[in-house]
Amino acid sequence: MEASTVEIKKKRDRIGVILYVIYVLLLLASVLLFVKIVGIQIFFKPDPKIETALTPSSRPRYIEPVRGNIIDCQGRLLAMSCPTYQIAMDCTVRREEFAKDKDGAAKEAAWMKKAGELSVELAKVFPEKSAEEYLKLIRNGRANGKKYLRIGKPVDRNVYNRVASFPLFKEGRYRGGFIAEQQNVRIYPYGKLARRTIGFVRNNRSDVGNTHVGLEGKFDFVLHGREGKEWLKVTDAGRVVDNDSTKTRPEDGKDIRTTLNIDYQDIAWRSLYNEICAEDDLEGACLVLMETGTGAIRAMVNLYRDGKSTDFEEVSNLAIGRAIEPGSVFKTVTLMQVLSDGYVKSLDETIPTNHGVIKGVRGVPQDVHMLDHERVHHTNSISIIDGFKISSNYVFGSLAVSNYSKKPMRFIENIHSYHLGEAFAFDLDGLATPTVPSPKDKNRYWSLSDLAVMGYGYGTRVTPLHVLSFYNAIANKGKMMKPYLVEDIELNGEVKNKRGPALMSTICSKAVADTITRALKAVTEEGTARRLKDARCTVAGKTGTSFGTYSGGSYRDEMGRRKYQGTFVGFFPAEEPRYSVICTVFSKPTSKQFQGGGIPARAIKNLVNGIYCIDPCFQPELSASK
Amino acid sequence: MDKTWKIQDLGKGLKNSFRAILKGEFLLRLNVGRYFIHIVYTFFLIAMVIWISLMIEGTMTKVERNKAILRELEIVHTQKTFDVVKLSRRSTVNEMLEQMGSKVTEPKEPATKLVK
Repeated sequence: MEASTVEIKKKRDRIGVILYVIYVLLLLASVLLFVKIVGIQIFFKPDPKIETALTPSSRPRYIEPVRGNIIDCQGRLLAMSCPTYQIAMDCTVRREEFAKDKDGAAKEAAWMKKAGELSVELAKVFPEKSAEEYLKLIRNGRANGKKYLRIGKPVDRNVYNRVASFPLFKEGRYRGGFIAEQQNVRIYPYGKLARRTIGFVRNNRSDVGNTHVGLEGKFDFVLHGREGKEWLKVTDAGRVVDNDSTKTRPEDGKDIRTTLNIDYQDIAWRSLYNEICAEDDLEGACLVLMETGTGAIRAMVNLYRDGKSTDFEEVSNLAIGRAIEPGSVFKTVTLMQVLSDGYVKSLDETIPTNHGVIKGVRGVPQDVHMLDHERVHHTNSISIIDGFKISSNYVFGSLAVSNYSKKPMRFIENIHSYHLGEAFAFDLDGLATPTVPSPKDKNRYWSLSDLAVMGYGYGTRVTPLHVLSFYNAIANKGKMMKPYLVEDIELNGEVKNKRGPALMSTICSKAVADTITRALKAVTEEGTARRLKDARCTVAGKTGTSFGTYSGGSYRDEMGRRKYQGTFVGFFPAEEPRYSVICTVFSKPTSKQFQGGGIPARAIKNLVNGIYCIDPCFQPELSASK
Repeated sequence: MDKTWKIQDLGKGLKNSFRAILKGEFLLRLNVGRYFIHIVYTFFLIAMVIWISLMIEGTMTKVERNKAILRELEIVHTQKTFDVVKLSRRSTVNEMLEQMGSKVTEPKEPATKLVK
């Protein structure tokens, strides 16, 4: 019994000793570990290069927000962001490796053979250089150690995929030397359509002063969004987001829904471009289509030909940026004044023709239309509506002088009350400020001739958009709507900021608007815009032709050439207006004539015919019930 | 009876602790045997934290890989959208119809709307 107890005790002791030894060993190991950790953390100074290489550093990553899209009134994409790729080549890849290899010469020859095949393919995609030229560049680059050989201009994803599958390039960065630098850019699916209205944002490195243009520029703060930031740490599997660090999520830019209808924009572009493309003497033209009831701009075409290009491009917003003497389209302003102020009760009222000379006014040219009128009609009087139809300067100069010579400020104030003297708030930057002469202007001599010429559209300077807003108010029974381009601001289809129509003021009574509409209708039926008589729906409007001035204020250059500014402005259908429209052409100094009743009227006729067939408001209704 | 604490007690305590550690009796001497399971549990938790951290790192690596894939897909989607929208331009559609010899052209009259 005792012997067995002793044996168990011995056995236990042996187990205890073994466990104790293991324990002591582990204890020693832990002490060693602790001492080592303390040593490394406090006393050990590694080689700085090794320290940098082995220290897992956290570094920030800035997350670019997705720039908002610009869409048309039906949600179609007008501007979006997409990456482009600058293709380049590292010509030196595997050169050293082949140099050390005993079969290096054969491998180098094989590599160069592939480079030859690559050159052939590159020449197909980037035809500015031939295959031989590309091969020469690669060969020279390889000989001179060129690590970055730029190939062509930035390309889209489709071309990138194609290029990445070319011989040699398909072997990747380190075997084929394929380099593709990605850069996010703005793309415009509809090409040139409304490009100036949509605009752009150039980076600050651009040498051009105006870096923010159009809707892109004006609403950059909405479209851009806010940058995010997160910290990355190095792991065995590469850099990953450090979960213990702070993170700022990016705020994507919001989308802008414009009032533009890209179908109408396309029709408007074609209507205008087809009329002007063959005219070498034209400098530019613009066409704006506005919805009568709201002031929403459905199409805005700006075609301009600067000295650099032969074709018309959307490079300048003529509709808002060029204030010009409007010419006869301003006669409607005079007509509205005399009707609203009660000086004229009916369009059939007559005034003496006086051989086309405005009484008591010097320096205003005689109106030869009056001589023709006297001869043809055997009369020495003319009705207001006839004067309007033939666009007589005499009639409207006389109306201005005879009614406002004693209170010219009333005439000027009326113009301002029609918002023709102010650069109102608009969704695009660059709306030119109109010029309206005034007797109160001490820097300028005022005379009756100023009043007379203002009566028929000279002296003042307004933009086509101002004129269009005025005519739109007539179509809208006196209510002047503020022109606008941005319907709302959206995020993922949800409206965040509704903008929409705004009433500027009521500029005339319904009766006056109806009377002027009758006069405008007469112009398209029997007057200077007869060309529009056979449009698919009735158009009411007015033509106007003015001349640009040369230095010194002359309307002709030394060769007798003029700079024409021909305009047609009106609305349709005349009975129940849905759209207002203006078209202005600007000529270079020319001996040809560019009247408002010519190209502008033709362009608008094309536009009206195009829109008439597709706009739902023109669709006739058929009852389905039996 | 008040027992005053002396500085040599610290040395004695350290000596006793060291001996206890050597004998493997440190925790028993502290009389924390009944908390042994908690101590083991704490070590378990620490091990779990380390293990989960490694798992998170693995997941984050996958997230980064998937993000790159998503970015690529987004680019492809954007490019396809661009191509489709580009083709939907009215004049382009007209040109394509003409090239294909289609008789479909722009309407000459507005469509008739059926109403109840």
